[in-house]
Amino acid sequence: MRFILSFVLVLSAVALLTSCGAGGDNQGSEYAPNMYHSVAYEPYSQIVDEDAGRWLTSIDYPDGHAEFFNSNKFNPFRMNLREAPENTVSRNKNGWLPYRIPKDSLDYASRTLKNPLDSTAAVVADGKVLYQMYCNHCHGPKGEGNGKVSEKYNGVPNYNSDALKNITEGHIFHVITYGKNLMWAHGSQVSPEDRWKIARYVKTLQK
Amino acid sequence: MTKNFISSACKFLPIVFVFALVNLTSHAQEISKEASAIAAGESLFNANCKTCHRVHQKLIGPALANVYERAPSIDWIKSFIKNSAGVIAGGDEYANKLYNEFNKTQMTSFTTLKDEDIMNVLAYIQSETEKGPAVAAAPAPGSGPTSEEGGQQSAYLNVILIGMVLILVLLLVILAFLVSALKRFLDQKELSAEDKEVIHSPITIGTISRSSGFIFIVVFLVGALGFKAVINGLYSVGVQQGYAPKQPIAFSHKIHAGQYEIDCKYCHTGVMKGKSATIPSVNICMNCHNQIRQGTLTGESEIAKIVSAWDNKKPIEWVRIHNLPDLAYFNHSQHVNVGGLACQTCHGPIETMDVVRQHSLLTMGWCIDCHRKTDVNTKGNAYYDNLVELHNTASKTPMKVEDMGGLECAKCHY
Repeated sequence: MRFILSFVLVLSAVALLTSCGAGGDNQGSEYAPNMYHSVAYEPYSQIVDEDAGRWLTSIDYPDGHAEFFNSNKFNPFRMNLREAPENTVSRNKNGWLPYRIPKDSLDYASRTLKNPLDSTAAVVADGKVLYQMYCNHCHGPKGEGNGKVSEKYNGVPNYNSDALKNITEGHIFHVITYGKNLMWAHGSQVSPEDRWKIARYVKTLQK
Repeated sequence: MTKNFISSACKFLPIVFVFALVNLTSHAQEISKEASAIAAGESLFNANCKTCHRVHQKLIGPALANVYERAPSIDWIKSFIKNSAGVIAGGDEYANKLYNEFNKTQMTSFTTLKDEDIMNVLAYIQSETEKGPAVAAAPAPGSGPTSEEGGQQSAYLNVILIGMVLILVLLLVILAFLVSALKRFLDQKELSAEDKEVIHSPITIGTISRSSGFIFIVVFLVGALGFKAVINGLYSVGVQQGYAPKQPIAFSHKIHAGQYEIDCKYCHTGVMKGKSATIPSVNICMNCHNQIRQGTLTGESEIAKIVSAWDNKKPIEWVRIHNLPDLAYFNHSQHVNVGGLACQTCHGPIETMDVVRQHSLLTMGWCIDCHRKTDVNTKGNAYYDNLVELHNTASKTPMKVEDMGGLECAKCHY
């Protein structure tokens, strides 16, 4: 009898422990859960349930929430991050102010904007790397408008078509920032400096 | 009467003339059906027109099927392509109707296209018009070859298994022969009754399960397997390798990064700049899905979710998969930008995953292991020159991450 009892005990312990591993929707068991659920705001680990982790809450938080809650009640969607307040101005490490020519002034931008970067090979090489990151999948490696995504996404132009052959770097900068025709704005993804590098590289594809 | 006739004839004559002229020019402007003209037209079309026009589909400009019959004349097409602004400004009725229909988008003027170029493009459009709209694309290539490979492997395994079972059965048969031969041999000898009883005692499940050898084997097997399972279970506490949660949208990296070869960094824009690789905001999804509304795997249902999020200005709450405990610091840009690692080094074959799962252990041992094995790329960076020189005086192996402080506790724990 004792033999069978110990047998069952061992088996259940094994079953319990093997269920600790993660897989599918199961995150697995955590050792010291407080360490996985950050008290400080962390990106992409937002917990909006105020009662999450009540079972190990040992601190009396002023507003009565439990251990794992880490959202900001006062923000939209309880997000921790907010958009910058209106009428504030950010500067990048070069001290550049945000690009302020409005979307509909493409002509003005292409006539007046000058690329502030020098024209060394390093800038062009950087531009190529950035081009492959942000542009390649639609515009194609040589700017012929034959990237993989262009099979599904209509309206990708050829850089060497008559309409585009002679555009300025300012034109390219403006179009990356705001988009044009069927292309949407990429200003949120590509920093102004990177946009100028890409513009420089695109001009080398147009020769 | 005759006077009347002459005057009416005089009125008609120019009209007859114009008709004859139109007939002549349209004969001269017969759209070619030669393959060479169509091919030349296709490359011109792809280079100059494709941006805004398709043959069977309205895009920024109108669909061009039948344009040679629809437009006022071939000459009109030529002058419109060469100088659309001029034609519109000249008050042409058809041109102004088009201009207003397409939200006053002015077509680029292609001054460098010659008349024969335009005729070639028309030849291409005519051949495409006659072909009719393309039928729905062929079904997406499945995972045929890989599953076949897997099937072959499992076939080999089956053959090996069957072989082993056959050998075991053969051994059993041989043993049974041996037992019966020994029994017969012992029967011929003079033995006490007790010994005879032992020889002829029947072998049943009861006798087997009560034999000490059998009990030892069972206890040993259960003990050993249990021990291994317990150790494995203990090691999996706090390790989330294999975690593959269901996301609010059934987004497939296999389609985006694999099939369409979109660079990881197009969406995960923070990976070169900061601690987090960042999950793309809805506007980045919409850069393509403003137009692409039909998914490869799920049709319209999943893409509709991102569009409604965009329309309602509501962020998507993706489920976080990779999570380090607070006691460890990790920075993406240090590894991807400075170290030059590919995403797949840690995240595995992401471009083949429909549902992303945590590929790596993300334990400290896993980090340390890589820091011990990985050479530092110092090429073209003068900052490292002295360090490399110093390292080479003391060691013959190339400089690893651990040689420049990659194992310092406070690099990650502080």
